[in-house]
Amino acid sequence: MKRALLLALFFGAALSQAQVTYERLQSAANEPQNWLTYSGRYSGWRYSTLDQISTNNASHLAMQWTFQVADLGQFETTPLVVDGVLYGTGQNDRAFAIDARTGRPIWRYQRSLPEKLQPCCGMVNRGMAILGDRLFVATLDAHVIALDTKSGNVLWDVTAADYHKAYTFTVAPLVVKNEVIVGISGGEYGVRGFIDAYDAATGRRLWRFETVPGPGEPGHETWKGDSWKTGGAPAWITGTYDPELNLVYWPTGNPAPSNYGGERGGDNLYSNCMLALDADTGKLKWYFQFTPHDLYDYDATQIPILLDAQWEGRPRKLLLQANRNGFLYVLDRTDGKFLSAKPFGKVTWATEIGADGKPVVNASLKTNPEGTRVCPGALGLTNWYAPSYSPDTGLLYVATSTECDLFTSAPQPYRAGHDFLGSVYLPDPVERPTGALKALDALSGAEKWSFPYFSNPNGGALSTAGGVVFAGESDGNFIALDTKTGHDLWHVQLGAAIYSTAITFQVDGKQYVVIPAGAALFAFTLP
Amino acid sequence: MPIFKSLSCGMVLRLGSAITGLLCLSPLYAAEKTAIEKSAAVKEGASVFRANCSPCHGLNARGGGRGPDLTSGRWTHGSSDAAIFRTISQGVPGTEMPANALEDSEIRAIISFLRSLSPPKNPVAMGDSTQGREIFNGKAGCADCHMVLGHGGVLGPDLSRVGASRSVAYLIDSIRQPNKDLSTGITDPNNHYGLALVYDTVTVVNADGTKLTGVAKNEDTYSVQLISTDQKLHLLLKKDVREVTHERRSLMPPYSEDALDGPQLQNLIAYLETLRGEDNANMPSRGLHTGGTKEAK
Repeated sequence: MKRALLLALFFGAALSQAQVTYERLQSAANEPQNWLTYSGRYSGWRYSTLDQISTNNASHLAMQWTFQVADLGQFETTPLVVDGVLYGTGQNDRAFAIDARTGRPIWRYQRSLPEKLQPCCGMVNRGMAILGDRLFVATLDAHVIALDTKSGNVLWDVTAADYHKAYTFTVAPLVVKNEVIVGISGGEYGVRGFIDAYDAATGRRLWRFETVPGPGEPGHETWKGDSWKTGGAPAWITGTYDPELNLVYWPTGNPAPSNYGGERGGDNLYSNCMLALDADTGKLKWYFQFTPHDLYDYDATQIPILLDAQWEGRPRKLLLQANRNGFLYVLDRTDGKFLSAKPFGKVTWATEIGADGKPVVNASLKTNPEGTRVCPGALGLTNWYAPSYSPDTGLLYVATSTECDLFTSAPQPYRAGHDFLGSVYLPDPVERPTGALKALDALSGAEKWSFPYFSNPNGGALSTAGGVVFAGESDGNFIALDTKTGHDLWHVQLGAAIYSTAITFQVDGKQYVVIPAGAALFAFTLP
Repeated sequence: MPIFKSLSCGMVLRLGSAITGLLCLSPLYAAEKTAIEKSAAVKEGASVFRANCSPCHGLNARGGGRGPDLTSGRWTHGSSDAAIFRTISQGVPGTEMPANALEDSEIRAIISFLRSLSPPKNPVAMGDSTQGREIFNGKAGCADCHMVLGHGGVLGPDLSRVGASRSVAYLIDSIRQPNKDLSTGITDPNNHYGLALVYDTVTVVNADGTKLTGVAKNEDTYSVQLISTDQKLHLLLKKDVREVTHERRSLMPPYSEDALDGPQLQNLIAYLETLRGEDNANMPSRGLHTGGTKEAK
């Protein structure tokens, strides 16, 4: 009996060591050996205090292992790492757990997906969330599932929406308290967007926030006629969270159809917004709309960064977002008050953001069926790929594109489950787009340095206390730069476009940096 | 009328109304109904085409830098509805035409839209392809830089199936004004959103100040793979050179009227039109159309 008790205590202790509690998620910054949430911590910084890999030795980085997920394509996952185990997702809703030191698989999961799915931009998944001994995945067929951390077995599986109408999930969930929060994709198909919270224990839906208000709800008047029914405003990138204010900050995407606004007159709330939702109820605390009545597909689905700093002489709780529309915004995250917006590249759709936070739209640009050249292009000055904020430098690292596009615009009838774009955008035939990783002063937006990319990017940035910022290029180069100067420290060619952002962790005293590319994860360490 | 649109003929008949029954039986009504359905399909097809096909085939389907003119009446991979359906849904292996995951009804709508388009006002090929081939391999020097079915240079794009993949108007522009719309080069299947490199003039200044001019087969932030004008391949690391400049203009010289008069151009176009990826270049042919426009004379 005594032996049995000891065994129980032993295994109990081992299990509890593996449990990821909400308290651990709140203080994720204190355990840099792990990577516990999509952005590494609730504030969205994608920054690590690990400093074994530094500006002095990054040039010696060497591959430690690779892990093949088997599906070539846009590998967009951000893995999680908990106590030596790495959890990730792959294209076509694969999931896996691997030994973070060796890359050897512990289990694999492959969802059985229906044939007719309508993700706009690839059969992608951006990652998981974890709580306790459960991993949470939002799937392409619009389900939310819980997997057992040790086996990959499905613990619960709930339907969020009808995939026949092109509702899909590509987002990595965010766990807050006992909730699994997800946002829907499908803005290119005229879905009515939403953000959901599910009970981590049972899968029961706790709340839903519709991102297009229905009749009688505030904001409904910003849609002409019945256009709200197919208004889009998806919510396909993982938000951030302030535990003290108990607010979830979740950005939304384009109104539908994205390139034709003739039948959706008005500002089209809550498309292209930052939403501040009460974490317990999903009720809207405040919103800020970046691009009202958007005609250029400027989803605001970029990760909001939460920062406490002095602003005009007094401490303030700030929210920063380098927006796809080309402006770096600073808001007060307690109430959504607009503080500033500065362009961080070439912008022609608006001449400036006014003192009220609303864009001063360039009146000379009129959309038409033949095409109007507008900057930034439809893929934005930046996009969903992660920015990084380093408290050591006070800089925000943002991957940027120079692409401008010819936006053509024409009415399009809506058909459920079919694309609903209102025409098409075409790459600028005059200038070949390039890109850059830019270091911006987080508060003023001033550019401190810029590292040029040959092509426009699809991958984001990770910064560390070692003074290194890691970034991935569309041309397949994984790069390490000096956070202070942008000096090129190291690079390696991975043979496929990089569509994600690196993470870092430490096991057995060794710091790892992991990046997905093509069909594989690549892990690098010092020799 | 709108209510009839939402009811099938059979449903209307089951309503038992003699009037509506007569309407259903009326050839006039049937013709009108067919016209309405056709019009709706064309409208839908125009939208689906615009969103999915126009980046390569042009907004008006008259051909673009990557796809042929779909109004020319020439269907390389079959002209029946079934053949066009197959081409759209399955793509054409070995070409830039991809398979498309569209609904069957959407593909049928695209076909309706394409069938509705007016015949082209493009300049048409009416020259002599045999003489055109001689110009290609001789006076114009095209073969010095372009390969056809395994013969020729490697500096410019392979033209073995250019007649199937480019419109006549595009070919004329490419000869008279090669800078107007630069041809695309390597397309990386792993780089979904990345734009292909174009055949523009690239100049590399080496560390010792010497220069290399050519076209880039590929390039990234750290390296460039260049074919110089002497058709040699150079594998260059950017850290080893002073400068890599893209001039956004073609290496190919523009062929003016002085270099290639109207009839010679027509003959050359007629030859290029025969290049469809098969070894049929020896088959002399006359152009399919007569009545060419000023541009073709």
